[in-house]
Amino acid sequence: MPAVQETIDQVKEIDVDQYKYGFVTDIESEKAPKGLNEDIVRFISAKKNEPEWLFEWRLDAYKRWLTMEEPEWARVDYPKIDFNDIYYYAAPKSIDGPKTLDDVDPELLSTYEKLGIPLAEQEILAGVQERRVAVDAVFDSVSVVTTFKEELSKSGVIFMPFSEAVHEHPELVKKYLGSVVPTTDNYYATLNSAVFSDGSFVYVPKGVHCPMELSTYFRINEQNTGQFERTLIVCEEGAYVSYLEGCTAPQRDENQLHAAVVELVTMDDAEIKYSTVQNWYPGDKDGKGGIYNFVTKRGDCRGKNSKISWTQVETGSAITWKYPSCILRGDGSQGEFYSIAVSNGRQQVDSGTKMIHLGKNTTSRIISKGISAGNSQNTYRGQVSAHRKAENARNFTQCDSLLIGDQCGAHTVPYIEGKNSSAQFEHEATTSKISEDQLFYCMQRGIDEEEATALIVNGFVREVIQELPMEFAVEAQKLISISLEGSVG
Amino acid sequence: MVTPKSLAKQRKAGKVMSVVSIAKLTEAEEMLFSAYDERAEKSSQSDAAIAVLKANGLPTRRVESWHYTDLRSVLKNVPAEVGEAVSGKVDTLVGNASLLALDALSNHEKADFRFDDAIGQLNGAFATSGSSLNVGAGEKLESPKEIQNAVEGKAAHTTHTVSFADKSSGTVIERQLGEGGFATSVTNLKIGNEAEVSYIIVQGKGVEATHLGQINVTLGADANFTLFVLNTGGKLVRQEIRINVAGEGSDFQLRGVNLIGDGQHIDVTMDLCHNVPNTTSEEIIRNVVTGKGKGVFQGRIAVAQIAQKTDAKMACNTLLLSDEGDFSTKPELEIFADDVACGHGATFTDLEPSYLFYLMSRGIPEKEARALLIKGFVDEIVEDLDHEALEEAIVSIIDSWLDQNG
Repeated sequence: MPAVQETIDQVKEIDVDQYKYGFVTDIESEKAPKGLNEDIVRFISAKKNEPEWLFEWRLDAYKRWLTMEEPEWARVDYPKIDFNDIYYYAAPKSIDGPKTLDDVDPELLSTYEKLGIPLAEQEILAGVQERRVAVDAVFDSVSVVTTFKEELSKSGVIFMPFSEAVHEHPELVKKYLGSVVPTTDNYYATLNSAVFSDGSFVYVPKGVHCPMELSTYFRINEQNTGQFERTLIVCEEGAYVSYLEGCTAPQRDENQLHAAVVELVTMDDAEIKYSTVQNWYPGDKDGKGGIYNFVTKRGDCRGKNSKISWTQVETGSAITWKYPSCILRGDGSQGEFYSIAVSNGRQQVDSGTKMIHLGKNTTSRIISKGISAGNSQNTYRGQVSAHRKAENARNFTQCDSLLIGDQCGAHTVPYIEGKNSSAQFEHEATTSKISEDQLFYCMQRGIDEEEATALIVNGFVREVIQELPMEFAVEAQKLISISLEGSVG
Repeated sequence: MVTPKSLAKQRKAGKVMSVVSIAKLTEAEEMLFSAYDERAEKSSQSDAAIAVLKANGLPTRRVESWHYTDLRSVLKNVPAEVGEAVSGKVDTLVGNASLLALDALSNHEKADFRFDDAIGQLNGAFATSGSSLNVGAGEKLESPKEIQNAVEGKAAHTTHTVSFADKSSGTVIERQLGEGGFATSVTNLKIGNEAEVSYIIVQGKGVEATHLGQINVTLGADANFTLFVLNTGGKLVRQEIRINVAGEGSDFQLRGVNLIGDGQHIDVTMDLCHNVPNTTSEEIIRNVVTGKGKGVFQGRIAVAQIAQKTDAKMACNTLLLSDEGDFSTKPELEIFADDVACGHGATFTDLEPSYLFYLMSRGIPEKEARALLIKGFVDEIVEDLDHEALEEAIVSIIDSWLDQNG
């Protein structure tokens, strides 16, 4: 019995044809010429009025990128990307760094409203402070709301677009930029370093518990463009921040590239909780269009007893290539990775995590739930390693895959490496359809088959859903609809 | 005699042409390629094998299946002299086993060469002899057959061909012996419908030996196959296990014990393909690492789209007893069928302190207590063999390893 009809229907609902965010906002934008060369790098840098050192940094990355080869090891298959057929910079003309909501182009505001993120309302309802509009104009991310920025700054928290941070806090940016994901890291991270246009910068000073959740909503709108944002979050000693990220894109026939870099740094006793609901346009039923999501995300637990937690719900993108990782450098530091990856249609997901145990008494936990349906391929690829000095390193990994239909694939590729005898690793992975025993158990108690299936699938992902902040949990549940809240009641 | 130095000299003098396109040959590659060029007896198969190898060079960690054994950089000191493996220098593992002879390869056997992997290429290029065994339909082997493959100092390459026809049964022991040298040994095993076969690979070479082994198995319908692999010796060892589950209703069991001491690098890589519906498999690998030992287990379970109702389980448990040693594992699942139950587990740990304490509080000295616990950890899966004499023989090999390394 390969999954009952309702489950299949539920999965189909998140299917590409149902993609709700596929509209295009008609807004005039300013673009750099198509293609990539030194002039484009200079153009972007000049647009942002960047200091010389940052331009040099970009240029250095660009030169290195030219010598690199595209990675081919992931289990994804796509036609070669023509990197000269992409606009690397596009910004809505109307935006020149607005300071308040009133300054924002109403067209942009309505876009967010359509996306279910009415900025003004959101402030009141959810207490979400700032929305940077990585909107319409693909690259350009502009901070729209400033009220919370002020409130945040009262407690010393810096939260602003990257391009602004470069000017206002150059010493911090210079110190941390590229310190977790160096420009030499990998093909897409290097490309990002050369052409990144904007992103968020967060700095939480010593001892501050960030009073509200920070959130960024990314939107690609323009045609033929790539989005290359860069996020940098630094938590000083004893600080805490929870950061949310969401993304959507219009429905287009061509593939678009999204190559972001996220760097997290935690000092002694600090904690960063990073949550993502990724819902880029996945392409249509036949795999036409959709976003290539090639993202490098890495957290560095530099301080003692620090903690970095990644939670992700991946439902979108034609191709996902993403491995949020933790470098557990500080003694006693903790890394967590909770992931739900749902693939449908012709989607290809190759995602997972790396937990690199360097310090003593470091612990990590990986919970990954993959659900593949349709003609999709869903791969978990992860690495857990304990280095020589990582005494008492502990890891627990659980990767479960659920297959719905016989045209899809679920794969697990973990790399587990131990170099310290006191390290203790446990890894388990399973692949199955919905268990008949469990179904029988439920049905025996009078729950019909459809509902029982819903219940089981719901339970399958719940562990991860629970890790999401409230506001996102709801969105994620809707998104996955495979969690089938409605039909279970 | 050709040595790397003399080769380099000749090359400088323009006397020898470099035949490959890869950037720069390693010492081992130079030795291997020139050894082949000097070989008297060549065949179209061996030419084909060396051509692939010359084109690709030895695999590096960039070749995914060699990720943890960078053969190109770890393979050193390939003996220049190619010799023959010998059989019959030691007693058989169990008393009633009979020895299979090592004979020159027939053309028929050469036709089985597979060049899709570096071990197959090396073996295909150089193999001259091997054992062969054909068990006829319905035939039951009363006592085990033993293949002995001893290589001393030189390079030696063997290909063994074993087949069990429908409804036959029996046990085959393959022993890899010798103090040093460089050996490749490939076994091609065909198991017919409803056959019941146990195959035991016991690799107990000297600490200077390089051993590259491969077993290719095709499993018929309703067949039961148990493979046991014990690695205790060798400096650089790679044993590849490639199983094609091609018959419905068949079952594959793998038990592996790797005892890895100081300075050893032991890699066991399994590629298991469930290609038909209704098959089962179970693999349990136990590893013990001491000193500066390095161990690798890679296990891939692939389930084809038509292979519904596959039940496949794999476990890899490692006792890492030294901070200087390391172990890496990559248990991989590649599933294209939806109605399956597949899983794998992997653990890494030191000996449980409370168990040690329990034993020591009863007056057992620490060293003995540790040995006892390690022994328990590996002996447990030897018992799955269900063949008393064999179990005893294997346990005694494990015991003597523990005496030296525990």
